[in-house]
Amino acid sequence: MPSLLKLILRRVALGLLTLLLVSALVFAATQALPGDTATAILGKSATPERVEVLRDRLGLDQSLTAQYFTWLGGIVRGDPGDSLAATGQSVGQLLGPRVVNSAALLVAAALISIPLSILVGSLSGRFRDGLFDSSVSMGSLALAALPEFVLGILLIMLLSVQALHVFPAVSRVNPQLSIWSQMNNLWLPALTLGLACFPYIVRMLRGSMIEVFESDYVQMARLKGMRERIVLQRHALPNAIIPVIQVIALNLAWLAGGVVVVEYLFNYPGIGSALVGAVSNRDVPMIQAIVLLIAALYVVLNLTADILTILISPRLRTGLQ
Amino acid sequence: MSDQQGRSSFDLGGLGEIANSKRVSRRQVLQGAAAVGALGALGPFASACGGDEATTSASPSAAAPKQGGHIRTAVTGGDTADILDIHATYIDSGSKTILVWDALLGWDHEAKLQMKLAESYEANADATAHTVRLKPDLTFHDGSPVTADAVVYSFQRILDPKTAALGAESLASLKPSGIKKVDDLTVTFTLEQPDAIFFEALAYYANGIVPVGFTTPDGAKGAIGTGPWKPISYDPGQQTEFEANRDYWGVGPYADKVTMIEFIDPTAKLNALLGGTVDHLADLDTAQVTVVESTTGLKLLEAKGGSWDPFTMLCDKKPFDDVRVRQAFRLIVDRPQMIEQAKGGFSWVGNDMWAPYDPGYPQDLPQRVQDLEQAKSLLKQAGYDNDLNIVLYCSTATGASDPEAAQVFAEQAKGAGVTVKVNKVDPDVYWDTGNYGSYPFAMSMWGTRNYLAQCRQTQFPTSPYYETRWKDDEWDKIYQEAVVTVDEAKRNELIGECQKIDYERGGHIIYQFGVVLDAYSDKLAGLPPDTFGSGSATRQSYNEFYFV
Repeated sequence: MPSLLKLILRRVALGLLTLLLVSALVFAATQALPGDTATAILGKSATPERVEVLRDRLGLDQSLTAQYFTWLGGIVRGDPGDSLAATGQSVGQLLGPRVVNSAALLVAAALISIPLSILVGSLSGRFRDGLFDSSVSMGSLALAALPEFVLGILLIMLLSVQALHVFPAVSRVNPQLSIWSQMNNLWLPALTLGLACFPYIVRMLRGSMIEVFESDYVQMARLKGMRERIVLQRHALPNAIIPVIQVIALNLAWLAGGVVVVEYLFNYPGIGSALVGAVSNRDVPMIQAIVLLIAALYVVLNLTADILTILISPRLRTGLQ
Repeated sequence: MSDQQGRSSFDLGGLGEIANSKRVSRRQVLQGAAAVGALGALGPFASACGGDEATTSASPSAAAPKQGGHIRTAVTGGDTADILDIHATYIDSGSKTILVWDALLGWDHEAKLQMKLAESYEANADATAHTVRLKPDLTFHDGSPVTADAVVYSFQRILDPKTAALGAESLASLKPSGIKKVDDLTVTFTLEQPDAIFFEALAYYANGIVPVGFTTPDGAKGAIGTGPWKPISYDPGQQTEFEANRDYWGVGPYADKVTMIEFIDPTAKLNALLGGTVDHLADLDTAQVTVVESTTGLKLLEAKGGSWDPFTMLCDKKPFDDVRVRQAFRLIVDRPQMIEQAKGGFSWVGNDMWAPYDPGYPQDLPQRVQDLEQAKSLLKQAGYDNDLNIVLYCSTATGASDPEAAQVFAEQAKGAGVTVKVNKVDPDVYWDTGNYGSYPFAMSMWGTRNYLAQCRQTQFPTSPYYETRWKDDEWDKIYQEAVVTVDEAKRNELIGECQKIDYERGGHIIYQFGVVLDAYSDKLAGLPPDTFGSGSATRQSYNEFYFV
C-alpha cells in the first residue's frame, strides 16, 4: 500500500522533528534549574575549590550551546555520551539494564492488563446492565480512583506481607543478574501497573461495544441469522476495538515512561527512578537520553496505533486510497 | 549526611546498650561502674521511648558467636554518583567505605578514642609533632603488608588538591613535607601550627589508609583496604556486595557475606524487612516504630547519638547582631515540645552547646527552658515591640523532619511577639552558595564531634561552614589556648569556658541531639548501639553481627 507507506514515512519524519524539539527544550529546562552537577553531587561538602575541580573534570566550563551540540553530534552517531554523575561510565552502560528492567515490567503489565481487560470489557458491553456489568463498573471506577501507590501497598499487604506470602514485598533486583532470571520480583509491580491501566481499557471497550451493538451492520448480521458468537467476533469486536487501541497505546506509553511512584514503592530499578535521580544530579546526558527514549516510544506507539486502526478498519483503508 | 566523628577519651559506659537490651555482654560488665551513674539519667528516657521486646537470651560471654551466614541490610541514601573510594568527596558512600577501610585511630561505640591500625600515638610537648606506630603484621585485602609507606602515601593522597578529598580540611595544618617515615612501622606528622587535638584528624574515618599506588577503584575492582569487608560487586544507587575479610585485625567478622541494598523510599525499606527480603534495616523512620514493635520476629535497636540539627543565626547583621535578640530566640523554644512534634520524641534535649560527649562539656549549666516573658523583655530592650518579622529557611536537606521543627518554632515564636515566615527550600539547592551560609536565619545539621573539632567547621571566617558568622574576641583567646594545650585536664577546663560563652551568647539554637533506630530480624544478634548515631544505630558494625 504505497499511500500507507507514504503516511508512515511522513509520520516518522515528524516524529524525528518532535524528538529534536524535545531534546532542545529539556536541555534548556535543565540548565534553567539552579545548580549544576558539581554542586548537586557535592551537596553539603561543596566548597568553591572542590566545585571548580569537579566542574573542570566534567567539562562543565564549556558554553551551553557548545555542550548541546557536542551532545547532539554524539547522538546522531549513536553515542549518548558519558554520565556526569557516575564518572567514567557511559550512559549506555548505566541505562541498558534499566531499560531492560522497565521493558520487562512493561511487557508483564501489558500481558496482565490487555487480555483481561478486553475479555471483561467485551463481556461487560455484551451483557450490559447485568450483575456482571454493574460490579465491573464499580470495581473499575474504584481502581481508577486509587493512586498507584495505594494500590501497590494494598497488593503488598494482601499478597506479600499480611494475608498471603506469594510474592516478595520488594523487588530486590540483583543488578548482577539479568531480570529474566529474577522474574519473581516482577509480578507485584506488574500487577499494580496492570490493574492501574485496567479500568480505562475496560470502560472504553464497554462503551464502544454498546455503540457497535446498536449499529446497522450488527442488526443486519443478527437478522441474517448469524450466531451471536460470530457476530461478536467478526463484526462487533473489530469495530469496537478501534478506539480501544488508542487507549491501549496511551497506557503503554504511560507505562513506558517508567511510573516512578511504583518504582520507588517496590524499589524497582527502572528508568523512572533513573530519570528522577538524573534530574537531582543535573546529569544532563542521562536526562537527555532517557527523555529521548520515552519521547521516541510515544511516537512509535502512536504511529503503531494509527496503523493498526487503519488496517483493521476497512473504511479507513479505502479512504486512504 | 556530613558524618564527621569527633570524640575524646570519655567513657560513656554503653548508655544506648543499657537503655535497649537486657542482654549483658562481657563488655558492659567491665564498664558497669561508669554505666551505673548514667543509668539513672537514662531511665525515664528508656521507658518513654518504649524499649523493644528483646527476649533475654542466656549469657553469651562463654560461647563464641556462630560463624557464617549472609547479612542482607537495607539502607537509605546512596546515589549513582557514589564512588567506592575512602578519600572521595561524596559523603553517601561513607556508609560503604567504612566497611572496607580503616583509619589509624578511631572511636569506639562509647565515643572513646581507640587505636585501630595504630598501636600507639603520642604528641610532643608543644603539639607540633605527632608520632604513630603501626601494629605489626597487619595486611591489606590483597595480602600486602600495612607499612609506614602506605600511611605516607595515603596522607599525601589526601592532601593532593586533585583528589579533592573529604579529609583534606581536617589536615589543614599538615603539609606534604611534614609527613615523615621514621621506620617501617612508624610515621611522624610535623604540623605548621601546634594542634593538641591532631588525633581527631587521625581518627576521622575519611582519612583511611590505602596501599601504596592506590587510585580510584573501578567499581569494586581495586578497592583494597584493611577493613572487615572486601567488596565483591558495586552498583551505586542499588546494592553493594561484600565478603568477609578473614584476616581482619579487629572483632569478627562472623558472617560470610554482607549485601547492602539501597532504598529511596522508607516504606519500601520497611516492607523489605517485613517481607523478609532483608535481615536488618538501618535508620528506621520514627513513624514506623509501632509497626516494628507490633511485628513478631523483629527487634528495635536505639542508639543515643550526638548528632544535632540546629537553628543558625547570622551574628553579623540585623537582627541577630544584637546578642539580646539571639538570647530571646533561644528562650522562645519549648524544647520537649519541639522534640515531640518534630522528632516524634526520638531525641534528647540540647542546651545550646554542641559536643555533649566531650569531656570538657559543662554539665553544671542549667538546662534552658522556654521563657516567653523573658524573651519579650529582651526583645523590647533591643528595640522590638511585637514587630520583629523574620524568614526562617529550612529544607529536608538537613533532616527529614527539620521543616516540621521550623513550623513548630514559628508557632512558638508567636508567643513572644515574633512573626516567623517559614521558607522551605528545595534540598537540591539548599547548600548552594548564596543560600546556606547567607540565610540570616536557617537550619543546619551536624554529626557527633568533639568540641574543638566542631569549632573548626563553623566558628571561623576560614571555616568551611561559617554558618553563624560568629566573632567574639574573648572566646577566641580561650580557644586559641585550648588547641595548643596538650594536658587533657587543662584543655577540658578551657573547653568548658568556651562552651559557657556559647551558652550565653552563641549563634546556634541547639534544642536536641539525635537518637537513631535500627530494626532487625531476631535471627540476628550482637548488634552494638553506637553513639556516633547518624544513619545507622550501629555505625555499620556488621562485623559484630552474627546469626543465632
